[in-house]
Amino acid sequence: MEHIVTESANHPAPEATALSGAEWQRRLEKIAADPRMSEENTTIAKSPIAVPLFFAGLVATIVSVISGFSMSGHGMHMLASIEVGLFTALAISLGGMFWVMVFHSLNAGWSITLRRQFENLGSVIWFPAVLLIIIALIEVISGGIMLKWIHHEGYNHLLHVKEPYLNSSFFIIRVLVYAAAWIIISRCFIGWSKKQDETGDRRLGRKSRRVAGFAIPVFALTTTFAAFDFLMSPDYRFFSTMWGVYYFASCGLAGASGVAIIAYFLRRAGKLEGLVTSEHSHDLGKLVFAFTVFWAYISFSQYFLIWYSNIPEETAWFYNRQEYGYNWLFWVMVIGHFVFPFLLLIWRQTKRSLNLLAIMSVYMIVMVALDMVWILRPMADFAATSVDGSSIVRIALDLVGIFGILAMYFGLVAIKVSKGPLLPLKDPMLHEALKHKNYV
Amino acid sequence: MKMINDFMTAAADYFPMLIGKGSPKFVTSSGKPVYGIVAEFDETPKVFKAAQHVRDAGYTKWDVHSPFPIHDMEEAMGMKSTKLPLMAGGAAIAGVATAAALQWGTSFVLYPTVVQGKPFEAWQPFVPIMFELGILFTAFMCIFGMLALNGLPRWHHPLFTHDRFMRVGNDKFFIVIEATDPDFDPSKVKKVLEDAGGTHISLIEDID
Repeated sequence: MEHIVTESANHPAPEATALSGAEWQRRLEKIAADPRMSEENTTIAKSPIAVPLFFAGLVATIVSVISGFSMSGHGMHMLASIEVGLFTALAISLGGMFWVMVFHSLNAGWSITLRRQFENLGSVIWFPAVLLIIIALIEVISGGIMLKWIHHEGYNHLLHVKEPYLNSSFFIIRVLVYAAAWIIISRCFIGWSKKQDETGDRRLGRKSRRVAGFAIPVFALTTTFAAFDFLMSPDYRFFSTMWGVYYFASCGLAGASGVAIIAYFLRRAGKLEGLVTSEHSHDLGKLVFAFTVFWAYISFSQYFLIWYSNIPEETAWFYNRQEYGYNWLFWVMVIGHFVFPFLLLIWRQTKRSLNLLAIMSVYMIVMVALDMVWILRPMADFAATSVDGSSIVRIALDLVGIFGILAMYFGLVAIKVSKGPLLPLKDPMLHEALKHKNYV
Repeated sequence: MKMINDFMTAAADYFPMLIGKGSPKFVTSSGKPVYGIVAEFDETPKVFKAAQHVRDAGYTKWDVHSPFPIHDMEEAMGMKSTKLPLMAGGAAIAGVATAAALQWGTSFVLYPTVVQGKPFEAWQPFVPIMFELGILFTAFMCIFGMLALNGLPRWHHPLFTHDRFMRVGNDKFFIVIEATDPDFDPSKVKKVLEDAGGTHISLIEDID
């Protein structure tokens, strides 16, 4: 076999780039000279409602906690409604993180002008992650509020068998690992992206792509097991191997929806003019649409297999919810989380108009929150022996708990968005996003 | 009414007996009807500008032929978006409805059947079939609807009688304005194509 021999000095090194340094500098200059990349168009002052929103959420959460403890039998109820808000916020952040990694690993060009918003959503994950640790500690110290398996009287064979996984110390370790993994991953990606804004070092893009490949499995495992620990184990008899994917579907959906909402507010403030167009809105809408369908596919598959196989400990999960006051929510999920948004988002015009897409995105996040209500909230009702207060008071307690966490979260997101440029300024793929167009 | 007309015209590609053919507006010296007038172009930018010119002249029944797809040509030609998505949506609804009717009709209404002790009126087992049949009908509509809207399959095309047209598979671009266009007038069309920068403008006879 004939070998082609070149001098090693002429051979491209593994880290060599296809574009020469001079060409890259020219491209950077061209992008910097683009009128759309003016500082006025790519930065935003802090929203005046961001801090008040955060404190409104804080007050609501405090009210929720106080009333939960002062009304007898509502401790679990209060925690369930706070967790509904928490897991909705976590889904948005995890979704933002997930899409950043997907865009990096697929070398996506169209999404660059939107990517900073995905990164912002991802980097706010410290808030739900820290809350998750606090809730885990409260659960363990109090002997189990939502997580009844933490403490149980007498011998329970099922818990005895599940002991190697469902025990307090391993649970705390797991939660710490999830939180650390999420915070580190999201910090890394936004950190490199912001460093690139300043230095224009295009090798950071390659580094992100390389790391994204390893970070996606970490994301997948931590998300799956976090969903097992907090969303599945409140009913420790129940098990579903689909559970991680089920929560991940909500993550992807909520992340894309969250960015659509941020993009709408930025465009309304007159920012990102010509940088986020109906073409970007169209592609973002496709993600929202795809994950609406994906969620329906996943959750119906799970429901369908449980319904058909009719194994008592699995079927009980659905049976209890449908028989004891939550059948309406089942149909809200079928119609409201799938059929209705499917029929609206399938239209090209809905996706191409950022205003319509933002309305649909708010609606989808409400649906994700209702999905969390469907998962978490009935557990408090099943466990309750006696409850205070009329149904209006109880619904108010739900709303305050959910609103509190989400308001604090969105306040933090709004503060985060105003820090730094609204898009990666020197990304190697930015030129593709600037002239992005859908030909279908 | 216009939709029915359009549909009949499309269907007449396959079943000529569906519509009575009126006498052609223009005939050549040999008595054959005129198919259209073709002009040749050398470069992509030229044919792109020419397409915009023809669009602005107000013609509706015309086409650009190119060896490769040209981005934004649909805008330059002023093409309306296709009806195919609506047709596919209709097919999807028909598929879901067929599956629902077949399953409910047979195993709940006509001959109630116990399967695994599940209730007769259970909707859950029917969903996968509704999903699959919806997709099947949609896929068929996409393929066959696309072929029908393109007038395919067909044995021959009047343009193939034009020898120069064979280079459309190689390095030439062509614009054809068809005689079915309401504004078709041979001398005016030739003028428009000349203004657009076309060369080798010639008249194409219809096959029969």
